[in-house]
Amino acid sequence: MQGVRMAQWKSLAALGALAVALLVPSCYAQSQDSSQAADPGPQTSDSAATSGGPVPILSVGLADNTFFEGGTAHLHPLVSPVVLIPLGDNWLIESRDTFEIDLAPEPGSDGAYKGYLQKEVDYLQLDYIANPYLTVTVGRFLTPFGIFNERLYPVWVRDLQSDPLILPISTGPSGAGTGAMLRGGFNVAPSVEINYATYFSTLSTDTPLDSDRAAGARAGIYLPGPRVEFGGSFQHLLQDDHSNAFGFHFAWQPPPIPLDIRAEYARSHNGSGYWVEAAYRLSQSPVWQHALRRVQVVGRMQQFLTGTVVDPVLPGANTNMFEFGINYYFRDHFRFVSSYGRQFAAPAGGGNENVWTLGLTYRPTIPLWPGGGKQ
Amino acid sequence: MRRFILPVALLLGSGASLLVGLAAGQEHDTKAVNDSAASAKTSIQHDEDSDRVEGERRFHANCGRCHQTPHKFPPRMMATIVRHMRVRATITDEDMRLILKYMTQ
Repeated sequence: MQGVRMAQWKSLAALGALAVALLVPSCYAQSQDSSQAADPGPQTSDSAATSGGPVPILSVGLADNTFFEGGTAHLHPLVSPVVLIPLGDNWLIESRDTFEIDLAPEPGSDGAYKGYLQKEVDYLQLDYIANPYLTVTVGRFLTPFGIFNERLYPVWVRDLQSDPLILPISTGPSGAGTGAMLRGGFNVAPSVEINYATYFSTLSTDTPLDSDRAAGARAGIYLPGPRVEFGGSFQHLLQDDHSNAFGFHFAWQPPPIPLDIRAEYARSHNGSGYWVEAAYRLSQSPVWQHALRRVQVVGRMQQFLTGTVVDPVLPGANTNMFEFGINYYFRDHFRFVSSYGRQFAAPAGGGNENVWTLGLTYRPTIPLWPGGGKQ
Repeated sequence: MRRFILPVALLLGSGASLLVGLAAGQEHDTKAVNDSAASAKTSIQHDEDSDRVEGERRFHANCGRCHQTPHKFPPRMMATIVRHMRVRATITDEDMRLILKYMTQ
């Protein structure tokens, strides 16, 4: 009897703590909103800041790349439409699908190219911006592990068209999870921002919506002054061997120069590794500035070490790789990309080979609502 | 008749001085109101300018973290894009507000 009563008290205390934890940030946010409402200064809502409010839009990532791997050309056209549908002041439906073909010479044929259309729902999610510190997401979402999968994956964003070797670690079979996620960003001091994401994903074996059953979190600290961000990620698999994975990320854009430095490390029972990338836009070149300002040079070094459990989407042997690329921006959303890379691996990991890439990336964006394109 | 001249002159004089005083006062009041309005306008302009500068700084700091800084889209499209990036890149509420203001001006 005593034990039951104690358990009831513990439950009540836990409920109370949960209620306080949920209510305090909401009340604080509400009081901030009220004070901002009384302030005739800047508007807080994106609807209020624009007459008519936000409109649905379609943005399409397009790429036509050719990869030369070990002397064999792979033609790789890709279409990736993103649809954004804002609802009211606090809701957003967003989706991204990818349709791609890897056309390669068919073995045994006289050079005929063959490939299959691969379809993937990268994300299809409903976001609710609960307050300035919290966004609740349900549906299918990109797994928030490290920075590449969520932020740098789109073909028009990435500086080198090949994926980092460690990308499949902890991002699941498709880079996405199916379930719920809490995320947000806020200032803890004028020059310090915190961003976070925590999620639960359920098992789905239905292609193209496959995902692992897992839970995890990512947190980062961003310093806007020196433009430095660093953080860590963690994931616990809730199926198979219930293994853990963790990773770290770092990014730095030194304000005086157009240089991007990014790095990630990830480790799981499937393997571990890192990549370090630097991209420099020649807009400050002292010579031929007019011609070179649209040119970007990129370099990436990466290493993968096999783990205790083999994952078919990861390299089958320890692998080192470096890549060097040159991109030319016709516009911010239209560019020519090229790169050369050299892979060093045992035959089980694909062996030593050169990888060349040539291609174009383009990202048109249009409104899906009458009048949405008016200035 | 003469005895009316002085009072009438005094009345007219006082009336004139009253009118001049009132006019001067009104002018002073108008000037004060104008000064106050001009001051408020200058203050708002100053706030707008500082918001724009801050918005541009945050635009380059936040958007440049992942990709080349994009061109400006029409305001209603920009509102959707900024909301999307708020979720995707976990930028703060304040950053979103200032970036949107800068990108829609």
